[in-house]
Amino acid sequence: MHWQTVLFDVVVMPLVAFIVGLLLVLMMRRTRARLERRIGPPFFQPLYDILKLYAKEIQISHGFIHDLGIIMVVGGYITVEMFLPVPGMVGLAEKGDLIALVYLMMVPSLGMALGVGQCANPNGSIGISRALISMLGYDIPFVLVVVAAAAMYGTTSLPEIIAIQQQGGVGSWGIASMPVMALAGIITTHVMLAKEPFETYIAPAEIATGPMVEMGGKFMGGLFVVQTFQVYTAGVLFTTLFLGGGITWFDFLPKVFAVLFLPFAITILFPRYKAGEGLLWVWKWPTGIALLGLALIFTQR
Amino acid sequence: MNAFDQLLVLAAVTVLAGLFTGRQAWGGWLATLLYAGQLVLLSGMAAVGYDGASISSGLAISVPGFVLHWEMTPLSWFFALLTVGAGLLCSCYAAGEWGRRHAESHSLRLLRVTLALNVASMLLLVTSADLLGLFIGWELVSWASLLLMIQNGPAAVRAALRYLPYAMAGAMALLGAIALVYVHGGTLGFDGLRAQLAGMGTLELWTLLMLLFAGFAVKMAAVPFHLWQPQAYSEAPGAGAAFLGAISSRMGLFAMALVLVKLVGFEYLAGVSGPQAWVTPQDVMLLASAATVIIGAYVALRQDDARLLLAWSGISQGGYMMLGLFSGAPLALAGGLSHVFSYATYEAGLFMVVFAVIHRTGTADMNRLGGLVTRMPLSFLVLLMGIIGLAGLPPINGFVSKWMIYRGLLDEGMVFYFMVAVIGTLGSVLYCYKLIHNIFLGQLRLEHEAVREAPWSMTVPMLILGALMFATGYMPGIVLDWVTPVMAYLGVQPPEYTLGAIMTAGADLDMLWLVSFMLVGFGIGAVIFYSAGRAQRVHQLDNYAGGHFLTADTRYQYSYNFYPALNRLIGPLYRNSFQWLESGVLSLMNFISAGAQGIYRSVHPSLYLLAAVVLVSLFWGVA
Repeated sequence: MHWQTVLFDVVVMPLVAFIVGLLLVLMMRRTRARLERRIGPPFFQPLYDILKLYAKEIQISHGFIHDLGIIMVVGGYITVEMFLPVPGMVGLAEKGDLIALVYLMMVPSLGMALGVGQCANPNGSIGISRALISMLGYDIPFVLVVVAAAAMYGTTSLPEIIAIQQQGGVGSWGIASMPVMALAGIITTHVMLAKEPFETYIAPAEIATGPMVEMGGKFMGGLFVVQTFQVYTAGVLFTTLFLGGGITWFDFLPKVFAVLFLPFAITILFPRYKAGEGLLWVWKWPTGIALLGLALIFTQR
Repeated sequence: MNAFDQLLVLAAVTVLAGLFTGRQAWGGWLATLLYAGQLVLLSGMAAVGYDGASISSGLAISVPGFVLHWEMTPLSWFFALLTVGAGLLCSCYAAGEWGRRHAESHSLRLLRVTLALNVASMLLLVTSADLLGLFIGWELVSWASLLLMIQNGPAAVRAALRYLPYAMAGAMALLGAIALVYVHGGTLGFDGLRAQLAGMGTLELWTLLMLLFAGFAVKMAAVPFHLWQPQAYSEAPGAGAAFLGAISSRMGLFAMALVLVKLVGFEYLAGVSGPQAWVTPQDVMLLASAATVIIGAYVALRQDDARLLLAWSGISQGGYMMLGLFSGAPLALAGGLSHVFSYATYEAGLFMVVFAVIHRTGTADMNRLGGLVTRMPLSFLVLLMGIIGLAGLPPINGFVSKWMIYRGLLDEGMVFYFMVAVIGTLGSVLYCYKLIHNIFLGQLRLEHEAVREAPWSMTVPMLILGALMFATGYMPGIVLDWVTPVMAYLGVQPPEYTLGAIMTAGADLDMLWLVSFMLVGFGIGAVIFYSAGRAQRVHQLDNYAGGHFLTADTRYQYSYNFYPALNRLIGPLYRNSFQWLESGVLSLMNFISAGAQGIYRSVHPSLYLLAAVVLVSLFWGVA
């Protein structure tokens, strides 16, 4: 692999992630609006929101770690995108595998936690405590999915996982070869994206008692940018593991949008869990389903 | 006199220097220089560490029928390097202001002598070349660490006395195993051990392996022998606690690697079928490691004292090393051994930071701290790097060693243990954040307004450790250069690697790329952030409180019961079962000893003595 290709990939991949992420956020907000019988935001609204926040005249910082936290969140996700192969671009995916990616994805969470911690607002700290508990919940079924993928494809290299599914056709896609695991995967995606009923720590009604309490201006703008990366990463990862990735963007993007449409559409049906209740539910259902799926995979082999 | 002999002599000189200059202010710097000298001599033996040679010491002690000797092998070199390195940095930490403060109420000489004794006895242990030498080294290390633990007042004495029965039991288990080997083959050399195993029955083999494992597990503080460690380590004087936490327990791992992996080997660990045919000694060892990972991590989560949190986390991390060692996967073994290094660097750093905080604020109670990042930024930096390593996230070295363990476990199809490792890591993310949040983030308390950064004699060793954590995370090949000769010595195929990358059958990991682009990512994040106009710094009380006002009188810091939702859920699972087990065993022992005392004290002691003498002489005659 030429260094020019790598350089091109690592520049373009986060950019594409951001643009597709903006569209995904637009889809999320429009879906919700239609279900609530509203029209929803105009096409460029997600971008306008970010630009508005970055352009605010008054920016409040609570200290260097507050700044660093936001830098780590945005920077961490930019790094994650470089390791997530998409059609035509491998980026750094051959330099780190799925397990490395799982741990890379925890770096932004840590950055967020650090930044909020420095704000010295007890409500922010409570929000982080809840967010980390939620992470302890969804990461367990998430890692079970990773284990299943490693067992099914015999590798943890993402480009190879895509190649195996592309060569084998639809029958070899994860969703066909391990449907139970795919179910666990989509539920986990829902929880990871903190959609209702798992949005305890970022619910709009709980802004004052959540991690976002001291975030405004470019700090909030950074978090809006990260939201685009977050939904993109979740959709692409599920598509890569279960839907065979994609050869071109034309068969890849519809899959990503379809995967995310499900959580975006059903989220409105639910009320909100208390922090501990949600954790218990995640340990019971997606984890249980994932264990069942794993057992099926190992009995098949 | 070769380099190895010089090293042993210098280690002895360091002990003597501690004894004679222990009260002088410059004594600490002298000791630090002497440790540096030991490190130089060790690096002079690089042929051992890098190329797998070995050097025998001229030191040999004849006992009837046997000659004790010592030998520097790649395995010993690796552990000796860690020991001397930890000794050097801890000695530097204690040499300046921390030592002066310590001397006001405690004996600095005692600390210096015991630290040097620990280093010297650990050098003897890791270079022992036969079972008897191993046992002697083992006892020396146990007593030396006891001396280091016992210095800080009544609480420390209580904790150290709790360690005593564990250490004795461990030593007895080891002695029993050695006796079993000796009875069977009549030799104590390492070479003869494997040959004798072939002649042993299933029951004998199980007994031998379990005795060995239990003996070594006590030192590792593996479940169920873990209860002694948290208090004993956290009550030790700061520099001593950092040393003990970083490397002392890993002597157990050294012995496990040497005896169980090299001398016994997986053909016996995995090959002996049990009373029920489905369980092997390897299974027992892996299960104990898994329990150690989980229990250590989730008990650490509940600690309010930063020192106890670190000590419990150390137990959990030891479990990772054992998982790597006993999985039988070469990559996981490489990970387990690398993790000894990673762990030593960040655990020493973390202990040093916590004791620096105690030095400045007088407490390690995490409910009484907060907001110190603005006062002690360097300490914060090292603590941040340390917790990233402890939680096993990139770019710190803990990530690479844990990644190798994960991959190895996956390659072996050990999904259960892989999940255990991941769940342990998630627990560690939670307690790591609690540690950094409750000490350094949140609101600064009024009484800490005037706190200053720790003095340079303390920050320099901390920063060196921080640099090591980062450098070996960036370039894991540095550590793998030491680990692969050890693996070759243990008879395991080492993995392929370069300076930054580790190649495996499933997928590669290249830390040079990963970390470089992580930094690029952060750089882009910083550019985006700082290009958006200046932010205005506000006071910590200038924040939104939902209609309430935060004033100087009613400050509040969210730290007590940090994860309430989780505690509600898993709280009932903490049942102190091992405390019950410990007190049960102790009561039983008291009962037996009281009974035995009653017999020999009250009824005709002379008669029992006579009978004993007759029996012994009878045995003598028969033998």
